[in-house]
Amino acid sequence: MFKKSHPLQSKSEIILRDIVVVAMVLFFSVFLIIPIGIAFAGSFHEWNPLSGTYRFLGLENYKEVIVNPLFWKSLWNTIIFSVVVIIFRVGLGLAIAYAIYSALIKYKSFFRSVFYMPVVTPMVAVAFVWKFMYNPQIGTINQMFGLDVNWLMNPKTALAAVIVMTIWKDFGYAVVMYMAGLYSLPADALEAAKVDGANAWQNFRYITLPLLKSMTLFVVITSIISYIQAYVQILIMTEGGPGTATYLSSYIIYDEAFVKYNFGYASALSFVLFIITAIFTWLSFRVSGNEE
Amino acid sequence: MKKKVLTTIMAAVIAATALAGCGSGAQTGGGDDGAASANVPTEPFGDTVKYDPSVAINDGKDITVELWEWGSDELFQQVIDGYQAIHPNVTIKLVNNPWEDYWTKLPLALDGENGPAIFNVHNSYHENLINYLAPLDIPLEDLEADFTGVEAHVIDGKVYYIDYGMMTGSVYYNKDMWEAAGLTENDIPKTWDEMREVAKKLTIKDGDRLVQAGLNFNDDFHQNYLLGLNYQLGDNLFQEDGRTPNVNTDNMKKIMQMLVDMYEVDGVGSKDFGEKGADSFGQGQSAMVIQWGHYYNTLNTTWTDINFGVFEIPTFDGEPYAYNRYNGESTFGINKNAPAEQQAVAQDFVKYFLANDEAQIAFNMAMSTFPAKKSLADNEQVMQNPSLSILADHIDHYIWPGPMPSTMETSLKKAGQDVFFNGVDIDTALNEAQESIIRDMKSSTFESVESLYKYAK
Amino acid sequence: MSAGCRKGMVINMRRKIFGIVLNVILVVLGLVTVYPFIWMLFSSFKENKEIMALEQHLLPSAFTVDNYINMNARFNFMRFFANSLLVTIVVTLAVVYTSTLCGFVLSKYKFKGRNILFGFVLSTMMIPWCVTIIPKYSMIQSFGWLDSYKALIIPAMFSGFGIFNMKQHIATLPDEILEAARIDGANEFFIFHRIIFPMAKNGISSIAIFQFLWTWEDYLWPYLVINTKEKQLLAVGLKMFSGQYSTDYGALFAATAISIIPVLLIYIIFQKQFIAGVASAAVKG
Repeated sequence: MFKKSHPLQSKSEIILRDIVVVAMVLFFSVFLIIPIGIAFAGSFHEWNPLSGTYRFLGLENYKEVIVNPLFWKSLWNTIIFSVVVIIFRVGLGLAIAYAIYSALIKYKSFFRSVFYMPVVTPMVAVAFVWKFMYNPQIGTINQMFGLDVNWLMNPKTALAAVIVMTIWKDFGYAVVMYMAGLYSLPADALEAAKVDGANAWQNFRYITLPLLKSMTLFVVITSIISYIQAYVQILIMTEGGPGTATYLSSYIIYDEAFVKYNFGYASALSFVLFIITAIFTWLSFRVSGNEE
Repeated sequence: MKKKVLTTIMAAVIAATALAGCGSGAQTGGGDDGAASANVPTEPFGDTVKYDPSVAINDGKDITVELWEWGSDELFQQVIDGYQAIHPNVTIKLVNNPWEDYWTKLPLALDGENGPAIFNVHNSYHENLINYLAPLDIPLEDLEADFTGVEAHVIDGKVYYIDYGMMTGSVYYNKDMWEAAGLTENDIPKTWDEMREVAKKLTIKDGDRLVQAGLNFNDDFHQNYLLGLNYQLGDNLFQEDGRTPNVNTDNMKKIMQMLVDMYEVDGVGSKDFGEKGADSFGQGQSAMVIQWGHYYNTLNTTWTDINFGVFEIPTFDGEPYAYNRYNGESTFGINKNAPAEQQAVAQDFVKYFLANDEAQIAFNMAMSTFPAKKSLADNEQVMQNPSLSILADHIDHYIWPGPMPSTMETSLKKAGQDVFFNGVDIDTALNEAQESIIRDMKSSTFESVESLYKYAK
Repeated sequence: MSAGCRKGMVINMRRKIFGIVLNVILVVLGLVTVYPFIWMLFSSFKENKEIMALEQHLLPSAFTVDNYINMNARFNFMRFFANSLLVTIVVTLAVVYTSTLCGFVLSKYKFKGRNILFGFVLSTMMIPWCVTIIPKYSMIQSFGWLDSYKALIIPAMFSGFGIFNMKQHIATLPDEILEAARIDGANEFFIFHRIIFPMAKNGISSIAIFQFLWTWEDYLWPYLVINTKEKQLLAVGLKMFSGQYSTDYGALFAATAISIIPVLLIYIIFQKQFIAGVASAAVKG
């Protein structure tokens, strides 16, 4: 290893380095560290900016998070939601990307664009459209398949309906990520496999898939981070209903912070959620055995 | 260097913004046909609260204030134009936000230094706003002389906003379906038992499949039944301390049971038939819905094909403690942190709005609310609106519980959804609602004003 | 010989059939993906009454462009559109520049605390919006930046995700080129702007597309900090179609149809570089 690639540091290097380091530290301190500090302090207070309340509560907010059954239910929903969406996102994304990548498909760029369309559409709009499609009387889904299901109001189907919508919206992201992964594979490895007479499945299973491991990790981790924070689809499609069947953790935080203005409690919820996100991210690193 | 580029870009943006702003401003100006300027009043007008147009505002110097609202720009602009015609030195700038966003942003804006001087108020967000409101500098007696329901708005002898109109729920029915079912004017139900019979006659089924619902309360049962019918049975929504909710009572259970029975025993509708009662009625799928006054306008703008009529909400025994809950549409709020000269304009504008009958009628008609201004109670235009004329006889028999925290609605909605969709029994669902309301109201300063009801026990 | 040939033909046949099946599957999936857009597009030419009507047809029975006129007249939609475009472009340019610069310093310079700094940048990616948004709002307010684009642009100038990606990407560029330039007497500013920047083209494309998409779609933050309607952005503007009692679906769909166009265009134009950039960042990471 080339530890010291250029031991001589020029003056301009030192200047540039210092500017960048100072700018980064300054920026992240002001817009991240300080807010986190304020929020952390706030999570130990009864904090309502409207009534001007800021009263020390100690661990009260955290206790309330722990004993609130709705939080645990929403957490469970969030986990189901995230896991299912991620599995489908990765599965569909990989399968479709591999199909487009294969020599069998023409019009590659056309398909790439089609599957990417939902990704670039604002969630607010997409959620409204799907809410319409799920309507029991006038919705496309029931009319097309001759069903009579109240998708968003039946506790058995509501979360699933939101999950399906989210998969539809997001799988294209994984398609493009995997396309990128596939294009950057070393051609000689694939060629070697062909010469060895491996069939298509073996080829995929033992050569391609392991080579795509770091891309999978990338997709999974960005997914975990974004799905644990998902709330817009719930806000528009179900408002957590029927009853509390589709409450997601971030939706509770949104509700507490910007509907009820319980900033203190919302902050406590955020930190608990942050810790859970961190654990899951760490777990996926562990499972994949990746150090970086 | 980079900074310079950025500044240049920013400058370009600002220039572009300013240009476009001029363009659109000119457009709105051109759109107004100058009706407001046709007759500018010079004499004082109003009942007890009088407005004198001859008094100069801000010593005649130019001033600009913002007015925030969520509704129709034209409605507000009309009043602003009238006011600006009297005081050309005053510019009132409208800022519109969609309903939900409005309530997230307004309190945050008021918390800063540059919040709007005037803003539209909805009493369901009373607590988020009250700390930012300046009291009206109109004498309390004068307001009480001209408007009903002022007492409920008095806080420590001061009034911050009042109602210009009262909205409540009535039954909307499809006249064509009514006729097709062989019903006549005489069949208009007075009691809930009669209502259920009529609903059965209006229901059409094809085997087990519902084709036309007699009655539909999907998605609005909490608003239009659970939070209102309790008064007919003599229960308030809050216990005597004015803070503890009263939603797991026997009477509330009775109401919820009635709703369940109407769908499951009578079969006049279904939880899965029509996502929203209001839409289903408009689509010509449901024969009756209970809706609040705003629905009258929805029917006249969106669902123009429906031939509908309105009748007063039925009661259990013909002699209710009160017919229903009402809610006020509020007058504007004044930002107490705004600069003094802006506040002076705001105070003057509110006075102008209250004294101006034309504005009062325009706002009430736009919202389909019953005018709170006493002198307008038998106004011709009001009586021509059937959703208002049917209320005229008993308008004093409606209760306003005060600016209830939204948790009352959301918790009861959740309870109803639990009962209808999640198979939870009524007792458990209502007990949970009671608990969650208590939890959400822990830091609330709300106190019920049900005791101020004219016929309070 | 002939047996081998037949075997070859069978494989060829199989391959052909498999290819057709695969194409069909993709087309079906594509239709499923596109259908909601087609429905939305057609609905944007319907009256609200027809959108909500019991009798549903894909094609509008009474074709109207009122929604498009309405959305602009009532909501001044093109204004939102222009605002969004401007803010998104400025933020994207800023992020591309800062990410490339930080990525360069973090990958090519060795100094004390570098790994700590990088680990710190990585961890910023994991912090949910909800943790910081409340205090961030109060801070912006006390800076007096509310209702100005400063509030949208300055707090978004550095991106943990961008720095991470660019660091990975620039690390793959050979050191020898830098050494050669240094020996030629080029200073670091020159090296960065004239050598690294052009060489990191693919990485820059991928960051640009991600950042463009995120800023374009971001809802909560602009909605909190921008008050004046004339300054509001598109994603927030979309919600203006839902009022206190009803939603103007026709106008919403019309607005959505228009709002998708720029992002899709940017993607279609840059997709080659985008994919190459993503590849270098994530796969070799």
